[in-house]
Amino acid sequence: MSDCIQRKTKIQVKNFTKRYNDLVVLDEINFDIKDGELVSIVGPTGCGKTTFLNCMSKLTETSDGDIFIDGEVADPKKHNLAFVFQEPTALPWRTVRENVAYGMEVKKVPQRELNEKLDHILELVGLKDTADLYPNQVSASMMQRIAVARAFAVNPDLLLMDEPYGQLDVKLRFFLEDELVKLWQTLKSTVLFVTHNIEEAVYVAERIIVLTPKPTKVRAEVVVDLPRPRNFLDPKFIEIRRHVTELIRWW
Amino acid sequence: MAFETVKVGKPLLLRILPVLSIVMFFTVWEVSVAPPDVHDWRIPSTLLTSPSDAFKLGIDKLTNVNPDGATLLTHAYVSMQEAFLGYILALAIGLPLGLMMGWFSMVRGLARPIFELVRPIPPIAWIPLTIFWFGIGLGGKVFIIWISGIVPCVINAFLGVRMTNPVHIQMARTFGASDWKIFTSVCVPSALPMVFGALQIALAYCWVTLVGAELLASDQGLGFLITMGRNLGRTDIVILGMVSVGLAGAVIGVIIDRVEAKLLAGIRR
Repeated sequence: MSDCIQRKTKIQVKNFTKRYNDLVVLDEINFDIKDGELVSIVGPTGCGKTTFLNCMSKLTETSDGDIFIDGEVADPKKHNLAFVFQEPTALPWRTVRENVAYGMEVKKVPQRELNEKLDHILELVGLKDTADLYPNQVSASMMQRIAVARAFAVNPDLLLMDEPYGQLDVKLRFFLEDELVKLWQTLKSTVLFVTHNIEEAVYVAERIIVLTPKPTKVRAEVVVDLPRPRNFLDPKFIEIRRHVTELIRWW
Repeated sequence: MAFETVKVGKPLLLRILPVLSIVMFFTVWEVSVAPPDVHDWRIPSTLLTSPSDAFKLGIDKLTNVNPDGATLLTHAYVSMQEAFLGYILALAIGLPLGLMMGWFSMVRGLARPIFELVRPIPPIAWIPLTIFWFGIGLGGKVFIIWISGIVPCVINAFLGVRMTNPVHIQMARTFGASDWKIFTSVCVPSALPMVFGALQIALAYCWVTLVGAELLASDQGLGFLITMGRNLGRTDIVILGMVSVGLAGAVIGVIIDRVEAKLLAGIRR
């Protein structure tokens, strides 16, 4: 944890507000993310998590406030933002390898560096053997790994993940969560992981930001100070999970 | 290797069905048509020629220029030239226009109203103006064929881009891709199945219009062959012209299919 405190602030979310006419969806959200930190966001269903991510990634304009990367207003053309969506986003006409390369191509990474990074990342996520297949020839979990690999490959200043494993079964999810943690530890990216699965949040995150129902504010921040690999049955793990559940419960 | 293509053979019945249907079609046709100067229950040869007579005429017309002034291959060549010029021009202008209309609102705003006005006019209705503009040479026929081919090209390419999965566009945007990059790397490839559909449809339209275009005072071409057959009262010439148009169209259709299968490996499998 001390390591987390020493790191410099990478991302600042200041007065993040989104209104649709009279409906306030996001209400002055403020928090920071340290460089190389893996932060999870949880909140009750319909609290505006996806709107929040869309604003963070600049797909949607905020009504007020902004997101700052290294003190500057975030701009997808200038900063390295990457987004892993809930649904599969592998481009069907590109092979697995070409798909993973897509983000780097957009960022105009020199060809040689691109190939080196590509080999490294394909190896890390275990897609090396399937690199020349098309997305319709690989499984659902591989499709999500393509998206995750493509996002990590650009060395993002901020990687946003919107319930990337929500559509997968429990066993695959555990496997991919371990892989995500491994990737994050190896590449030291700053990751914001949105999920409605509290167990998943406690398993992957260093810190959990709990949101309130609409109009959404930050209810609490919970530091997950557990050693890795984490154990779902560890009493401390269960205690944190229970605590987060208490924070978001609305029943 | 995590993936291996499993080849499953087609059942015998499915393989012979197409052959069977063609054989049956020609047999029924052959037995239903009476030979020349025979009058019985069958269809007289003045109304319909038999496939065997059309085939014999086809063999004869490979070398014989009578009675219409050119061999079958010359007719086919002339028609192909006209149709292909019109077709290629339709693709060259229609596809980029349709693709750009799908993505760039400026192009859509400028081109769509004009296109919507021109689209409902049947290509044949352009014939009088075409004669004024281009005379009765190759240019006029190519223009008519072009008009008929460009409509499906624009519509399909436009729809192909509009049907791009929005999440793919969002994904590209979050990486900071420019509008042009999103257009070329996401919208255009995702529109390809529709574009290949357009190639087939435009080809069919071009062939259909060919006969009409060759009504424009021509002296060679498959459409002209059909017209000559009508003028001479020879159903065998008419049928030969029709079958040649059909065969040539089918062959080109198969070629486009093959190219499509190769290029769209990831999208259709």
